[in-house]
Amino acid sequence: MKLNIEGLLVYFPYDYIYPEQYSYMLELKRTLDAKGHGVLEMPSGTGKTISLLSLIVAYQRAYPLEVTKLIYCSRTVPEIEKVVEELRKLMEYYSKEAGEKNNFLALALSSRKNLCVHPEIVHANIIVYSYHYLLDPKIADLVSKELAKKSVVVFDEAHNIDNVCIDSMSVNITRRTLDRSQANVETLQSTILKIKETDAAKLKEEYRRLVEGLKEANVARETDIYMSNPVLPDEVLQEAVPGSIRTAEHFVGFMKRFLEYLKARLRIHHVVQESAPQFLKDISEKVCIDRKPLRFCAERLRSLLRTLEIADIADFSAITLISNFATLVSTYSKGFTIIIEPFEDRTPTIANPVLHFSCMDPSIAIKPVFERFQSVIITSGTLSPLDIYPRILDFHPVTTASFTMTLARTCLCPLVVGRGNDQVAMTSKFETREDFAVIRNYGNLLLEMSAIVPDGIVAFFTSYIYMENIVASWYEQGILENVQRNKLIFIETPDAAETSMALEKYQEACENGRGAILLSVARGKVSEGIDFVHHFGRAVIMFGVPYVYTQSRILKARLEYLRDQFQIRENDFLTFDAMRHAAQCVGRAIRGKTDYGLMIFADKRYARADKRGKLPRWIQEHLTDGSLNLTIDETVQLSKHFLRQMAQPFKQDQLGLSLLTLEQLQSEEMLQKIAQIAHQV
Amino acid sequence: MHLIADLSCPAMAALSEEVLLVVKRVRQRKQDGTLYLMAERIAWGPEGKDRFTVSHLYADIRQKISPDGKAKIQLQLVLHTGESTNFHFSNESTALRDRDAAKDLLQQLLPKFKKRANKELEEKNRMLQEDPVLFQLYKDLVVSQVISAEEFWANRLSLNNVDHSASNNKQEVGISAAFLADIRPQTDGCNGLRYNLTSDIIESIFRTYPAVKQKYAENVPHNLTEKEFWTRFFQSHYFHRDRISTGLQDIFSECAKQDEKGLRSMVVQGVKNPLVDLLSLEDKTLDEGYGSNSMAPSTSSANKTVKENSNSAIIKRFNHHSAMVLAAGNIGLSPRGPAVKIQEAIEYEDLHMENGKKTVALNLKKSDRYSHGPVPLLPQQYTTSQDIINSVNCIQQEIANYKPCLTQVMSSSTASSAIAALSPGGLLMQAGSQQAINQMVPSDVQGELKHLYTAAGELLRHFWSCFPVNTPFLEEKVVKMKSNLERFQMTKLRPFQEKIQRQYLSTNLTGHLEDMFQMAYNKFHAWQTRQMLRKT
Repeated sequence: MKLNIEGLLVYFPYDYIYPEQYSYMLELKRTLDAKGHGVLEMPSGTGKTISLLSLIVAYQRAYPLEVTKLIYCSRTVPEIEKVVEELRKLMEYYSKEAGEKNNFLALALSSRKNLCVHPEIVHANIIVYSYHYLLDPKIADLVSKELAKKSVVVFDEAHNIDNVCIDSMSVNITRRTLDRSQANVETLQSTILKIKETDAAKLKEEYRRLVEGLKEANVARETDIYMSNPVLPDEVLQEAVPGSIRTAEHFVGFMKRFLEYLKARLRIHHVVQESAPQFLKDISEKVCIDRKPLRFCAERLRSLLRTLEIADIADFSAITLISNFATLVSTYSKGFTIIIEPFEDRTPTIANPVLHFSCMDPSIAIKPVFERFQSVIITSGTLSPLDIYPRILDFHPVTTASFTMTLARTCLCPLVVGRGNDQVAMTSKFETREDFAVIRNYGNLLLEMSAIVPDGIVAFFTSYIYMENIVASWYEQGILENVQRNKLIFIETPDAAETSMALEKYQEACENGRGAILLSVARGKVSEGIDFVHHFGRAVIMFGVPYVYTQSRILKARLEYLRDQFQIRENDFLTFDAMRHAAQCVGRAIRGKTDYGLMIFADKRYARADKRGKLPRWIQEHLTDGSLNLTIDETVQLSKHFLRQMAQPFKQDQLGLSLLTLEQLQSEEMLQKIAQIAHQV
Repeated sequence: MHLIADLSCPAMAALSEEVLLVVKRVRQRKQDGTLYLMAERIAWGPEGKDRFTVSHLYADIRQKISPDGKAKIQLQLVLHTGESTNFHFSNESTALRDRDAAKDLLQQLLPKFKKRANKELEEKNRMLQEDPVLFQLYKDLVVSQVISAEEFWANRLSLNNVDHSASNNKQEVGISAAFLADIRPQTDGCNGLRYNLTSDIIESIFRTYPAVKQKYAENVPHNLTEKEFWTRFFQSHYFHRDRISTGLQDIFSECAKQDEKGLRSMVVQGVKNPLVDLLSLEDKTLDEGYGSNSMAPSTSSANKTVKENSNSAIIKRFNHHSAMVLAAGNIGLSPRGPAVKIQEAIEYEDLHMENGKKTVALNLKKSDRYSHGPVPLLPQQYTTSQDIINSVNCIQQEIANYKPCLTQVMSSSTASSAIAALSPGGLLMQAGSQQAINQMVPSDVQGELKHLYTAAGELLRHFWSCFPVNTPFLEEKVVKMKSNLERFQMTKLRPFQEKIQRQYLSTNLTGHLEDMFQMAYNKFHAWQTRQMLRKT
């Protein structure tokens, strides 16, 4: 159908439309009109991707000078492939309706093999790739720095974007890294000697260039040709490379000295935590390395590798890591912390020192994106509470909205189980999680559900170790044997290949009618990337509240930073983080309006307002007082009732309610209703 | 020891069977006798008599039980009907050996018959369920004991076996995921455990764990007896996977390794569906050394505790077990390609207009109407009122101008007989008077009549198929069929006739049926007289 979104002609490749899709496009258009950023939450399965694509493509065609490019970032390869398919569908619709051959160029980049500077990327109208191509400064500099300012950037599935940002800026250095760097340095040294004998002019030319400084890059950045790079600070661009590291030999000597210093720092027996300035002070005092040459390290190494015409940069990943660390630690006095641990907490007897250089501020990595591009859209099925993302990513959106799912029948059933039939509270709280009664009640819940839920059940635990322990005691108590009478059991393992196999078998068992249970962990790969549509997940059970492991020093440092910089209380952040993962887990089962599933929150703490209130609106609104703090028996009763209702044939009575024709969409009454779908924050 | 025994068994007379095993001195109901294991049955006859008092078809036997550790050495047979028979092996010196010989032979024979019996039963059941007419016939003839079930099926199964052999691939029965849990150990009272194994459980174990089957084939019976084998199995670390291996002489330690290998090879094969492939989920993982969580807990077993190791062994075992159970009952769904999966994942079916593609299943209430086609409507001429007025005028005119032609007038008697013949019920109006049967007779009677017709037809078919009677078997059959017909007439047709009489319906409803029977009797009598003549 062809839609009129506030005066913009939008080609939408379907005969019907969901009201929330219309509402979503409306908000999106307003964001683009305002040339600002937006945060939009809409449940998965309501056709978010096609709405985004339809509107932005229409916008590009209507205002080719205002928006020149769409950069669509998603998290996983299957997600990217899905976006490409939906785009294909849209383009087919365009050529069918408009009768013209579409001259839109869309480009999807995926997997490392394709990672090259593609000349076409500059000309493409639409680029689809993974987050890293934009957020990881090492790749962004190769792939994305020339992308036009007048682009719209979309981060889909963005609920974990802060962690992606932090990961791309954090560095860990072990003894092995240092050994490999040492080897790298030696290779460099011998290559330099060789080149000196054969082609000394090349090195001289490099020297000349470095004296001139990185003027060129600076000009490019100032004239907005390039996107800025957090590893290439402005100061570096404005100044010439300091004399102490200008010649190749001097630089290699400098790196050697730096490596020796790091080696010495790893020789410790207790944990050290310090800030970047403290680190700089120490290095200056101990080995007389200044801040300025450190800051140039990353760029200087890149220049050297280019000059020496080294083909396989991957061999030099260790020394590149060290040089990036040097630049970052000397550039950012805030937002990072250095933690040196002599051993892993779990194995205090085995010496394995690690220097963590941890980014605590996700806004550092994403800052260039917000600064450069006209509109950045952060969207996902679970972004609640919406106001926290602008705070931790440090930007000011013009639109912040959450959309509910209009439903002809209530196809999701969230229930909070707080007690066993013996009235013992059910919780994964640290003090009681090893409690025999809690584990047994969790087991009974699984057993009871396995008897009444058809096909597939997915259960999530708060951590892998917790799951291992519970599975072991369920096994000892004979609970799993009884579960096996109803369904096959598959369990996630730390090995991705093994888990993939288990997943495929799980689906096979759901497909052939046998029915299966998948035991999995929140924050794991399954919870982040696998959908359990229709019979692959008729119920999701979330055992406990998936709080992050709080004993980690890195996390503690990050919490402190959030408190000091953003005035976000530790508990608020931890709860937010736990709830977004819980929402991700339970949301895996509902992938559309024709789908249905139970969402069992098995922890009494979910009933509390501070937890419940952080769930996405589209889940929250179905969580009534009658579905809180239930016993296992009550849960089973409610579930049975729900499943029986859902098993009735799904009549096409959606029309006019959760599914609209063009005419219905145009009615005044409907437009008013639609206005209520978007919940502005 | 092979010999041919002549069996004087009432049900199946004069059939010779091969005798596979004879065991003497077997007591049954405190009577000494001899046990015979034959090709299709097991039988027992008391000493000194040439007749079997106990005889069971293998197909009827559900289970054999050979309790160990009792003073008496016995073999118990449990039938599908729930009855059971006990044999007591009383030859002191060889009792145990005799029993085991009989048991082993039964073990080989029973599964074969079990399958056959099941298959036949299933086939019959399926036919009855699929064909309501046949089912009714079955009820009329077999349930009311007009003919025996064997007779009923005699020429049906063979007919259908040919038709269905292609489509009727045997569907394998899957394995219960909890079959290991069903092997509940019981204490035997003196500090030991007793496991009850059935052949089903053993088969489940073999199908789920091929490595165990292999071990069984390697070791039983040359190295170990069957009992020893299973005893070791249940004691093994393999069975209790969470326990840490104790002895090296455990013959099952190799099985664990093979399972591990099997699991590995499944994992190495990878998955076909890209949407569940966790390895290629991330487009680009961070380079080594970057990231805040790169120090994921190491999975190498070196720095794991014993408990953690056993925990992960349990998890592996569950995955392996479920995968094997699934594979054992695999019905082979054709996997769809990756492209299809992604297409499916982005499809919103409800956003599409259905373009009339959705078809409604054909639901036939009256299948004959469907197969006979619609009855053509007779072309009807409608007359308008103007036509009527016109014709009335016409007739009035005719009558006004009527001049009788008295020379050609009929005699009065001829005329009145002609009128009689043309009135309803008269000679020429037979067709008009006979109301259609479906208007005169209530529908329940109609239905009953229909059943009678099919049943009678079936019996008559049996009867007529005997002619020409040229073998002793047919001779026997034709006599039997005749008595069947008479019985049917007595037990089914008569009550029906009485019933319609009570309801004052025309008795000639069954006239045709009677005729058919009469025809058959005439034929039979003709044949019989000829027989008699020939004999004398």
